[in-house]
This record gives sequence, C-alpha cells and structure tokens, in this order.
Amino acid sequence: MATSTLSPSRTAATQNQYWKRLRKQLPNYLFILPHFFFFSVFLLYPIFRGLQISLYDWKIMLKDQAFIGLANYQALLQDKIFWQTLSNTAYFTVLTVIMNVLLALFVATGLKHPFIGSNFLRVLFYAPGILSVSVLGIIGIRVWDTQIGILNYFITTMLGGPRIAWLGNPDMVIPALAVTTVWWTFGFAMLVFIAGMHNIPEPLYEAAKIDGAGPLQTFRHITLPLLMPTMLFVVVTQFIAHMQVFAQPYIITGGGPGNASRSATMYLYETAWKFFRFGYASSISVVLALIMIVVTVILFTLMRRRTEY
Amino acid sequence: MNQTIVYPEQRRLGRYVARSLLMWLFFLPLALIVVVPVLYMISMAFTLEANQMKFPIEWIPNPPTLSNFQKIFVDPQLPIVRWFINSLVVATVGTAIIVFLSSLSGYAFARLEFPGKGFLFSLLIFSLMIPSAVTLIPAFLLLRDLKLLNTYHAIWWPAAASVTGIFLMRQHFFSIPGELEDAARVDGASRFRIYWQICLPLVRGAMVALFIFAFLGLWNDLFWPLIVLSERAALTLPVGLLVIQQGSYIQRGLAFAGAFIASMPVLIFYAIFQRKIIAGIVTAGLAGR
Repeated sequence: MATSTLSPSRTAATQNQYWKRLRKQLPNYLFILPHFFFFSVFLLYPIFRGLQISLYDWKIMLKDQAFIGLANYQALLQDKIFWQTLSNTAYFTVLTVIMNVLLALFVATGLKHPFIGSNFLRVLFYAPGILSVSVLGIIGIRVWDTQIGILNYFITTMLGGPRIAWLGNPDMVIPALAVTTVWWTFGFAMLVFIAGMHNIPEPLYEAAKIDGAGPLQTFRHITLPLLMPTMLFVVVTQFIAHMQVFAQPYIITGGGPGNASRSATMYLYETAWKFFRFGYASSISVVLALIMIVVTVILFTLMRRRTEY
Repeated sequence: MNQTIVYPEQRRLGRYVARSLLMWLFFLPLALIVVVPVLYMISMAFTLEANQMKFPIEWIPNPPTLSNFQKIFVDPQLPIVRWFINSLVVATVGTAIIVFLSSLSGYAFARLEFPGKGFLFSLLIFSLMIPSAVTLIPAFLLLRDLKLLNTYHAIWWPAAASVTGIFLMRQHFFSIPGELEDAARVDGASRFRIYWQICLPLVRGAMVALFIFAFLGLWNDLFWPLIVLSERAALTLPVGLLVIQQGSYIQRGLAFAGAFIASMPVLIFYAIFQRKIIAGIVTAGLAGR
C-alpha cells in the first residue's frame, strides 16, 4: 500500500476483501481435513495422552486410575533392567548404523558405474529388505543356531573350526543381532547412497582427475563431503528406526541370555502387554522418546556443520 | 603395423569386461551371503520335519516334501489362508487410504492457500520427530475403548495418520505448472475436479512410489498388528508366523513353510517389477528428507 493513512471506508474495504478471501479459501480446508482428523486422533492426541498416562499408576482393568505424579519416573531411574535394555539398544543401534553405513557406502561406490550385472546386484542386495521382520527372525534363528546353524555349518565344515554359541554368549548376542539387521537393511542405505552419488556433478570428478587425484583421494575429498546431506538422512532415519528395535531380539533370542539382548522397546512391550503396567510403560516410552529427540537434534547440528562449506 | 590392431572401442569393451570381472570378484561373497539364507528358507520349507535337524545341513531336500504345507493348511489352529486374506485386505485398503489422503493433503499444502497453512505444516514436521513408542499405548487404549481391537480398522486408521506420504506428494505437486490450473479454473472447473482430473494424473509416478512403499510397510509390519490383533482369526501373516513358532507348534518345518507363504508373493512381485519398486523405494524413502 502506498498510502500510510487509511480512510475508514478503505479499512472497511480491505476487511471486506479479507473476509471474501477467507470465504473463498475456507473450502480448501476440506482437502486436509480427512488426514488431519486421523492425524489428530492417532498421533497428536496420543502424544499428550501418553505424557498424561505416565503420571498415573495406570492399570488396564481399573475404572479410576491413581495419580502418582512423577513416581513412575523415579522408579524408572532405579530400574536396573530399564538401564540395561537402554544400553543394549544403544549398543545395537550404534553397531548397526555404523556397519550399515560403511557397507552401503562400499557397495554403492562399486555399483555407481554400471558393469555387467551391476543392476542385478543392486536388485539382489535390496531383496532382503522386502522380507517381513518375522521371516527375518525365522531365518535368523537358524543362521546363528549352535547345533545346526548355517554359520556353524560353514565354520565346522569349511574352516574346521569349533561350533560357536553365538546367541548363548552375552558378549556376542547383540553383534549377532546387529549383523542380522544389517543383512536386512543395508540395501536401502545402498540405494539412497547411489542416488546421492549420481547427484554429484561429474565435472568435479574430471577436475580431480586432471589434478592427479587417485580414487581414494577423490572419494575422501569429493564424494564423501558432497554426500554429507545424504549421509545425514541415512544416519538419522536409521538411528530412529534401530533405536526402536523390537522384533529381532523378540523372535530370535527372546531377550536372552538373561537380559543381554532385551531391547528398550521390547521391555516397553512386555511391561504394557505382558504385565499390564501401562503407566510405567508410558514413562518408559516418554524417556525413550526424549533420548531419541535429543540425539537426533545433536546428530543434525553435528552433521549440518560438516556439510557447510 | 601388423595384425594386432586394437580399435579404441575394442579396448574400451575389454576394459569394461575386465572391470566387471573384478567387481564380481568383490561382490560375489556378499551376493552369496544375501542369497544363501533365503535359499535355505525355501529349502527347509520343503524338507521333512525329521530331516530339519540334520547336520551337516541337507541343502537340497531329500526327499522334497509338501508335508509342511499340508500340516499348516489342515491345522484349524493355524488359519493361514485367513491370515493371508487379512494381510491382503489390511495392506491394499490401508495403502489406498494412505495414498488418497496423502495426495489430498499434499495437494493442499503445495497448491492451495488457507490461513494457518504454515503452522499446520510445521505440526506435521514436528510429528516426524516423535518416535512411535509414545503413541503406542494411548492409540491402543483408544482403539480398545472404541471396540476396534481385532478388526481391520485397528490397522487402517492409525496408518491413515502417517505423514511421510504427504511430503512426497507435496514435492511432486509443486512441480506442476500453475497455468494448467488457471486454464481449468477459467473453464469453471471446481477445486476438487482440478485436483482429481488435472493434477492427480500428473503425479502418477509419485503415487505409484507411495503405493509400493506403503504396501510393503503394511504387508510386512509386525509390531503394531501384534499389539492390536490377538484373536487367531484376526491375525496378519507376520503375527501368524510368530504363532506358528510358539507354544505347541515348535515344528521347524511349519515355520519355514509359513515364511515361504508370506515371502513368495512379495519376492515374485519384486522380481517382476524390480525397476519400478527400486525407483519407488528411493523416491518415497527420501520424501522425509
């Protein structure tokens, strides 16, 4: 508006216009309404409801729930099993993410430029990812089995080694589950890395070649830095996914030996649906969520800083 | 100047073949690691229960048998056909709901104006930060109060709340030139018709990508169905597979036969449409970025 002094009739006119525009825009809400309804009911409302339930001694059969303030959280701080499952989960997540990223980077670098059968390999390496985690579990049990397992078969028949109790050893069980998960998920990271690598402008590689850079130098100084946004995406999504690991320990080890492979989500599941302590389980979920949000934010700031050049 | 003239194309071809061989040398072990467990599953599905525990492993079933499948199909406690149908219905209808709602919302956030648009969109982004662990219990209790546990609704409607599809659809709706809509508006087409008849056909690729992504997610999901489905007849295949493994069903062959039944449709589907599926996975998987 060029004029700074608005006459009364003019404000009325703009107001009128405003209402007219609003009336025209009002039907646009209909487009987002269906999703927003379910979004509110099954996502927004549960977030706040979950916070609320965690303040109660919530038992499923009771009519009136007892408000106990922060008692669940106080008990959680003292709960040794909770801390163990949390550290199990963190260990599992770090192992899985690192192995996934390294393997996927390696494979993507090899498959970036086509060769005979490169497309076939790409399809093959993603294939485990379309299996259900239940199927992964059924296969996983038999891969690691001490007596009749696939791995021990190769170790005893081809290497002449002894049978190893992979899942019976508290130090080995989480790495075993992590390897199982990498088998299942590295294909996705690989596909994303290949897509990211194809977005890096080819002239950069040509320039590096002219400057006499070797393949390792090129990878370090061109591919890796320019792949950082993709890397950020992969690390964050994998972190969020694997921190919530449930089915692999639930099916393959049952959380054992002892609690050595019990994950935090598994503990949450058992607290709620086996022992029906919903209030306590809610406090577990809230703490888990807080940790994940904090780590996600840290990952973002760390990796964002490294992407800016 | 004698008979050993090597043309540049030939040399390039030679280098291509050499590089291919080298790469296969590198990747063959990994390819075997990926393939062997799946082949093992298929083999064990056709192996007699008595031979399941054989060591060294009997890689090729001797004799091959269908007895595992017969046992599953006969057992009234393991209604696997019902589970298969449940999975199919849950996944197809759920996917259709997700694709339709995501395209509607994605269209609105990309092409339409309304008050509070920025705020509502940031609400969607905020929800991405919240891990599903927090919403599990309240969503479960809500469905219980609504008496919707052990029904398809318990899976469809929480799935309808998912937001990643909206980001994907929004990105693709952005790329449509505005002139197309303007022309349709001049011709007097309604908002919904512009969306449905002009814009939707132009983002078919993104819809296919979302369809694949959402379908695989729903078909394979274990955790949520395990929570909201407990009656035998209501289960989906992934939960059913756990039942086969548990309790008195500690028959190894049955578990593999069940795993075979659950994985074959997706594996065959994947083999046929691999190019589209991989492109779709990348497109949809990257949408959250």
